[in-house]
Amino acid sequence: MTNPVTRDRRHFEDLVEGEIIDLGHTKVTKEMITTFARQFDPFPFHLDEEAARKSLLGGLSSSGWQTGGLSLRMLVDSFLSKIASCGGLGFTDLKWQNPVMVDDIIGGTVTIAALRRSGSHPKWGIVTLDFDVRNQNDKPVLTMRLANLVECREVAA
Amino acid sequence: MTRWFENIVIDETFPLGSHTFTAEEIIDFATLYDPQYFHIDPEAAKHSHFGGLIASGWHTVSVGHRRMVDALEAEAERLRELGEEPGVSGPSPGVNSMDFKVPVRPGDTVTYELVVTGKRPSNSLPGWGLLFNRLTATNQRGELVYRAELVGFSKLRDYRMPLKLRLLLALTKIPVIGPRLTRST
Repeated sequence: MTNPVTRDRRHFEDLVEGEIIDLGHTKVTKEMITTFARQFDPFPFHLDEEAARKSLLGGLSSSGWQTGGLSLRMLVDSFLSKIASCGGLGFTDLKWQNPVMVDDIIGGTVTIAALRRSGSHPKWGIVTLDFDVRNQNDKPVLTMRLANLVECREVAA
Repeated sequence: MTRWFENIVIDETFPLGSHTFTAEEIIDFATLYDPQYFHIDPEAAKHSHFGGLIASGWHTVSVGHRRMVDALEAEAERLRELGEEPGVSGPSPGVNSMDFKVPVRPGDTVTYELVVTGKRPSNSLPGWGLLFNRLTATNQRGELVYRAELVGFSKLRDYRMPLKLRLLLALTKIPVIGPRLTRST
Protein backbone atom coordinates (compact mmCIF):
# COMPACT_ATOMS: atom_id res chain seq x y z
CA MET A 1 0.00 0.00 0.00
CA THR A 2 1.55 3.25 -1.10
CA ASN A 3 1.08 6.39 0.94
CA PRO A 4 -0.43 8.96 -1.51
CA VAL A 5 0.94 11.88 0.54
CA THR A 6 4.58 10.82 0.32
CA ARG A 7 4.54 8.77 -2.96
CA ASP A 8 6.41 11.37 -5.00
CA ARG A 9 8.83 12.48 -2.30
CA ARG A 10 12.40 11.32 -1.78
CA HIS A 11 12.55 8.02 0.09
CA PHE A 12 15.25 6.45 2.26
CA GLU A 13 17.07 5.02 -0.80
CA ASP A 14 17.35 8.51 -2.33
CA LEU A 15 19.23 10.03 0.62
CA VAL A 16 23.02 10.31 0.65
CA GLU A 17 25.37 10.34 3.61
CA GLY A 18 27.24 13.65 3.80
CA GLU A 19 24.46 15.58 2.05
CA ILE A 20 24.27 19.13 3.39
CA ILE A 21 20.86 20.80 3.76
CA ASP A 22 20.72 24.59 3.74
CA LEU A 23 18.25 25.71 6.43
CA GLY A 24 17.87 29.28 5.16
CA HIS A 25 17.24 31.97 7.79
CA THR A 26 14.67 33.10 10.34
CA LYS A 27 14.47 36.47 12.08
CA VAL A 28 13.48 36.07 15.73
CA THR A 29 11.29 39.01 16.73
CA LYS A 30 10.34 40.25 20.18
CA GLU A 31 6.74 39.24 19.54
CA MET A 32 7.75 35.66 18.62
CA ILE A 33 9.88 35.39 21.79
CA THR A 34 7.23 36.67 24.21
CA THR A 35 4.38 34.71 22.57
CA PHE A 36 6.26 31.41 22.93
CA ALA A 37 7.47 32.26 26.44
CA ARG A 38 3.98 33.12 27.71
CA GLN A 39 2.82 29.65 26.68
CA PHE A 40 5.82 27.43 27.41
CA ASP A 41 8.64 29.20 29.27
CA PRO A 42 7.31 32.12 31.36
CA PHE A 43 10.57 33.28 32.94
CA PRO A 44 10.98 37.09 33.21
CA PHE A 45 14.11 37.06 30.98
CA HIS A 46 11.99 35.68 28.10
CA LEU A 47 8.98 37.97 28.74
CA ASP A 48 9.92 41.35 30.11
CA GLU A 49 12.55 43.65 28.58
CA GLU A 50 13.20 45.51 31.83
CA ALA A 51 13.71 42.30 33.85
CA ALA A 52 15.77 40.79 31.02
CA ARG A 53 18.16 43.77 31.01
CA LYS A 54 19.00 43.04 34.65
CA SER A 55 19.41 39.28 34.10
CA LEU A 56 22.55 37.24 33.34
CA LEU A 57 22.08 37.68 29.56
CA GLY A 58 21.44 41.43 29.65
CA GLY A 59 18.44 41.43 27.32
CA LEU A 60 15.37 39.60 26.07
CA SER A 61 16.32 36.14 24.73
CA SER A 62 14.30 33.29 23.25
CA SER A 63 13.51 30.12 25.17
CA GLY A 64 15.95 27.37 24.19
CA TRP A 65 12.96 25.24 23.27
CA GLN A 66 11.81 27.95 20.88
CA THR A 67 15.27 28.11 19.28
CA GLY A 68 15.01 24.35 18.80
CA GLY A 69 11.47 24.63 17.43
CA LEU A 70 12.52 27.30 14.92
CA SER A 71 15.47 25.15 13.86
CA LEU A 72 13.11 22.22 13.38
CA ARG A 73 10.75 24.44 11.34
CA MET A 74 13.59 25.39 9.01
CA LEU A 75 14.42 21.68 8.58
CA VAL A 76 10.77 20.82 7.82
CA ASP A 77 10.62 23.53 5.12
CA SER A 78 13.96 22.65 3.55
CA PHE A 79 14.00 18.85 3.94
CA LEU A 80 11.46 16.90 6.04
CA SER A 81 8.45 18.08 3.97
CA LYS A 82 10.24 16.90 0.80
CA ILE A 83 11.05 13.37 1.98
CA ALA A 84 8.79 10.48 3.08
CA SER A 85 9.32 11.34 6.75
CA CYS A 86 7.41 9.31 9.30
CA GLY A 87 8.33 11.09 12.49
CA GLY A 88 11.23 11.72 14.82
CA LEU A 89 12.75 9.14 17.16
CA GLY A 90 14.50 11.69 19.36
CA PHE A 91 17.81 13.48 19.61
CA THR A 92 21.09 13.53 21.49
CA ASP A 93 23.66 16.15 22.50
CA LEU A 94 21.47 19.22 22.19
CA LYS A 95 23.56 22.26 23.16
CA TRP A 96 22.51 25.89 23.43
CA GLN A 97 25.89 27.59 22.99
CA ASN A 98 24.73 31.21 22.85
CA PRO A 99 21.41 32.90 23.59
CA VAL A 100 19.19 34.15 20.74
CA MET A 101 18.36 37.82 21.35
CA VAL A 102 15.59 40.03 19.88
CA ASP A 103 15.96 40.51 16.09
CA ASP A 104 18.80 37.98 15.77
CA ILE A 105 18.75 36.14 12.46
CA ILE A 106 19.38 32.42 12.87
CA GLY A 107 20.13 29.89 10.16
CA GLY A 108 22.65 27.27 9.18
CA THR A 109 22.97 23.75 7.90
CA VAL A 110 21.97 20.20 8.68
CA THR A 111 24.21 17.35 7.51
CA ILE A 112 23.10 13.76 6.92
CA ALA A 113 25.52 12.06 9.31
CA ALA A 114 24.31 8.46 8.95
CA LEU A 115 21.73 6.27 7.19
CA ARG A 116 20.66 2.83 8.33
CA ARG A 117 17.70 0.48 7.91
CA SER A 118 15.44 0.01 10.91
CA GLY A 119 16.08 -3.22 12.79
CA SER A 120 12.43 -3.62 13.77
CA HIS A 121 10.49 -2.40 10.73
CA PRO A 122 11.29 -3.62 7.16
CA LYS A 123 9.78 -0.53 5.46
CA TRP A 124 11.64 2.07 7.51
CA GLY A 125 15.05 3.64 7.51
CA ILE A 126 16.64 5.95 10.06
CA VAL A 127 18.36 9.16 9.01
CA THR A 128 20.70 10.83 11.50
CA LEU A 129 20.89 14.61 11.10
CA ASP A 130 23.49 16.98 12.60
CA PHE A 131 22.27 20.55 13.20
CA ASP A 132 24.63 23.54 13.09
CA VAL A 133 22.54 26.66 13.74
CA ARG A 134 24.23 30.07 14.03
CA ASN A 135 23.32 33.72 14.45
CA GLN A 136 24.05 36.61 12.07
CA ASN A 137 27.55 36.95 13.58
CA ASP A 138 28.32 33.29 12.81
CA LYS A 139 28.23 32.42 16.50
CA PRO A 140 26.78 28.95 17.22
CA VAL A 141 23.39 28.99 18.96
CA LEU A 142 22.29 25.36 18.69
CA THR A 143 23.75 21.99 17.78
CA MET A 144 22.05 18.61 18.08
CA ARG A 145 21.88 15.17 16.49
CA LEU A 146 18.33 14.21 15.45
CA ALA A 147 17.14 10.73 14.42
CA ASN A 148 14.18 10.64 12.02
CA LEU A 149 12.28 7.73 10.41
CA VAL A 150 11.92 7.64 6.62
CA GLU A 151 9.85 5.29 4.45
CA CYS A 152 11.82 2.94 2.19
CA ARG A 153 10.73 2.23 -1.40
CA GLU A 154 11.79 -1.41 -1.17
CA VAL A 155 11.05 -3.70 1.75
CA ALA A 156 14.22 -5.05 3.37
CA ALA A 157 15.00 -8.65 2.40
CA MET B 1 15.36 23.37 41.17
CA THR B 2 14.06 25.74 43.79
CA ARG B 3 16.32 24.16 46.37
CA TRP B 4 19.90 25.12 46.89
CA PHE B 5 22.35 22.80 45.18
CA GLU B 6 23.51 21.43 48.54
CA ASN B 7 19.96 20.39 49.52
CA ILE B 8 19.02 18.53 46.35
CA VAL B 9 18.58 14.82 46.95
CA ILE B 10 19.54 12.33 44.26
CA ASP B 11 16.72 10.05 43.01
CA GLU B 12 14.00 12.15 44.61
CA THR B 13 10.92 12.38 42.36
CA PHE B 14 8.99 15.58 41.68
CA PRO B 15 5.50 15.29 40.14
CA LEU B 16 5.00 18.06 37.57
CA GLY B 17 1.30 17.61 36.79
CA SER B 18 -0.61 16.70 33.63
CA HIS B 19 -1.80 18.21 30.38
CA THR B 20 -4.59 17.10 28.00
CA PHE B 21 -3.79 17.80 24.34
CA THR B 22 -6.53 19.05 21.99
CA ALA B 23 -6.46 18.70 18.19
CA GLU B 24 -6.58 22.49 17.90
CA GLU B 25 -3.47 23.13 19.97
CA ILE B 26 -1.60 20.25 18.27
CA ILE B 27 -2.28 21.87 14.88
CA ASP B 28 -1.53 25.41 16.14
CA PHE B 29 1.88 24.43 17.53
CA ALA B 30 2.87 22.34 14.51
CA THR B 31 1.78 25.04 12.04
CA LEU B 32 4.46 27.27 13.53
CA TYR B 33 7.21 24.80 14.43
CA ASP B 34 6.74 21.38 12.82
CA PRO B 35 4.31 21.53 9.85
CA GLN B 36 4.57 17.89 8.75
CA TYR B 37 1.29 16.48 7.40
CA PHE B 38 0.66 14.10 10.34
CA HIS B 39 0.88 17.06 12.77
CA ILE B 40 -1.32 19.59 10.90
CA ASP B 41 -3.75 17.79 8.56
CA PRO B 42 -6.13 15.24 10.18
CA GLU B 43 -7.26 13.89 6.77
CA ALA B 44 -3.79 13.43 5.27
CA ALA B 45 -2.58 12.02 8.61
CA LYS B 46 -4.86 8.98 8.07
CA HIS B 47 -2.44 7.84 5.35
CA SER B 48 0.53 7.92 7.72
CA HIS B 49 1.50 4.85 9.75
CA PHE B 50 0.10 6.66 12.81
CA GLY B 51 -3.37 6.47 11.20
CA GLY B 52 -4.32 9.96 12.40
CA LEU B 53 -3.19 13.28 13.82
CA ILE B 54 -0.36 13.21 16.41
CA ALA B 55 1.37 15.99 18.35
CA SER B 56 4.86 17.12 17.35
CA GLY B 57 7.40 15.71 19.81
CA TRP B 58 8.69 19.25 20.19
CA HIS B 59 5.19 20.27 21.34
CA THR B 60 4.93 17.57 24.04
CA VAL B 61 8.43 18.54 25.21
CA SER B 62 7.59 22.28 25.32
CA VAL B 63 4.49 21.51 27.42
CA GLY B 64 6.69 19.37 29.71
CA HIS B 65 9.01 22.35 30.13
CA ARG B 66 6.05 24.57 31.06
CA ARG B 67 4.89 22.02 33.63
CA MET B 68 8.40 22.07 35.12
CA VAL B 69 8.56 25.90 35.26
CA ASP B 70 5.17 26.01 37.02
CA ALA B 71 6.14 23.29 39.53
CA LEU B 72 9.39 25.10 40.37
CA GLU B 73 7.59 28.42 40.83
CA ALA B 74 4.98 26.76 43.11
CA GLU B 75 7.77 25.18 45.19
CA ALA B 76 9.59 28.55 45.44
CA GLU B 77 6.35 30.18 46.59
CA ARG B 78 5.84 27.46 49.23
CA LEU B 79 9.36 28.03 50.58
CA ARG B 80 8.82 31.82 50.72
CA GLU B 81 5.67 31.28 52.74
CA LEU B 82 7.71 29.18 55.17
CA GLY B 83 10.09 32.12 55.48
CA GLU B 84 12.90 30.35 53.59
CA GLU B 85 14.82 31.75 50.68
CA PRO B 86 14.36 29.54 47.60
CA GLY B 87 17.39 28.34 45.64
CA VAL B 88 18.28 29.82 42.28
CA SER B 89 18.32 27.89 39.01
CA GLY B 90 20.22 29.12 35.98
CA PRO B 91 20.06 28.63 32.21
CA SER B 92 20.31 25.12 30.80
CA PRO B 93 23.40 24.25 28.78
CA GLY B 94 21.62 21.44 26.93
CA VAL B 95 19.97 18.04 26.72
CA ASN B 96 21.98 14.82 26.71
CA SER B 97 19.23 12.71 25.16
CA MET B 98 15.55 12.73 24.22
CA ASP B 99 13.69 9.55 23.28
CA PHE B 100 10.22 9.77 21.78
CA LYS B 101 8.38 6.49 22.46
CA VAL B 102 4.58 6.61 21.98
CA PRO B 103 2.84 9.37 19.98
CA VAL B 104 0.38 11.79 21.63
CA ARG B 105 -3.07 11.94 20.00
CA PRO B 106 -5.89 14.49 20.51
CA GLY B 107 -7.56 13.86 23.87
CA ASP B 108 -4.52 12.15 25.41
CA THR B 109 -3.55 13.23 28.92
CA VAL B 110 0.20 13.30 29.55
CA THR B 111 1.62 13.26 33.09
CA TYR B 112 5.14 14.61 33.68
CA GLU B 113 7.67 13.70 36.38
CA LEU B 114 11.20 14.86 37.21
CA VAL B 115 13.98 12.90 38.93
CA VAL B 116 17.40 14.32 39.80
CA THR B 117 19.84 11.59 38.80
CA GLY B 118 23.11 13.33 39.61
CA LYS B 119 24.86 16.58 40.56
CA ARG B 120 28.34 18.07 40.67
CA PRO B 121 29.89 21.55 41.03
CA SER B 122 30.41 23.25 37.66
CA ASN B 123 33.97 23.52 36.34
CA SER B 124 33.22 26.39 33.98
CA LEU B 125 30.88 28.53 36.11
CA PRO B 126 32.24 29.19 39.65
CA GLY B 127 29.51 29.33 42.29
CA TRP B 128 27.17 27.08 40.35
CA GLY B 129 26.45 23.36 40.29
CA LEU B 130 25.32 21.11 37.46
CA LEU B 131 22.15 19.06 37.90
CA PHE B 132 21.34 16.01 35.82
CA ASN B 133 17.57 15.67 35.56
CA ARG B 134 15.45 12.92 34.01
CA LEU B 135 12.05 14.08 32.80
CA THR B 136 9.51 11.39 31.91
CA ALA B 137 6.14 11.85 30.22
CA THR B 138 3.50 9.11 30.49
CA ASN B 139 0.05 8.90 28.89
CA GLN B 140 -3.27 7.91 30.51
CA ARG B 141 -2.61 4.24 29.68
CA GLY B 142 0.71 4.30 31.54
CA GLU B 143 2.74 4.20 28.30
CA LEU B 144 6.00 6.16 28.15
CA VAL B 145 5.61 9.13 25.77
CA TYR B 146 9.17 10.41 26.10
CA ARG B 147 12.18 10.36 28.36
CA ALA B 148 14.64 13.26 28.50
CA GLU B 149 18.05 13.50 30.17
CA LEU B 150 18.43 17.23 30.88
CA VAL B 151 21.28 19.31 32.27
CA GLY B 152 20.67 22.41 34.39
CA PHE B 153 22.57 24.94 36.49
CA SER B 154 21.78 25.46 40.19
CA LYS B 155 23.39 28.07 42.43
CA LEU B 156 25.63 26.96 45.32
CA ARG B 157 24.51 28.41 48.65
CA ASP B 158 27.77 27.81 50.52
CA TYR B 159 30.06 29.03 47.74
CA ARG B 160 32.93 31.24 48.82
CA MET B 161 34.84 32.88 46.01
CA PRO B 162 38.57 32.03 45.94
CA LEU B 163 40.85 34.83 47.22
CA LYS B 164 42.33 35.44 43.74
CA LEU B 165 38.88 36.05 42.21
CA ARG B 166 37.80 38.29 45.12
CA LEU B 167 40.95 40.43 44.72
CA LEU B 168 40.35 40.71 40.97
CA LEU B 169 36.74 41.73 41.55
CA ALA B 170 37.86 44.37 44.09
CA LEU B 171 40.39 45.75 41.57
CA THR B 172 37.72 46.17 38.89
CA LYS B 173 35.88 48.52 41.26
CA ILE B 174 38.78 50.99 41.45
CA PRO B 175 37.98 53.86 38.99
CA VAL B 176 41.30 54.00 37.13
CA ILE B 177 42.27 50.32 37.10
CA GLY B 178 38.80 48.79 36.77
CA PRO B 179 37.89 49.91 33.23
CA ARG B 180 41.30 48.80 31.93
CA LEU B 181 40.90 45.35 33.48
CA THR B 182 37.40 44.79 32.16
CA ARG B 183 38.35 46.11 28.71
CA SER B 184 41.12 43.57 28.39
CA THR B 185 38.91 40.57 29.24
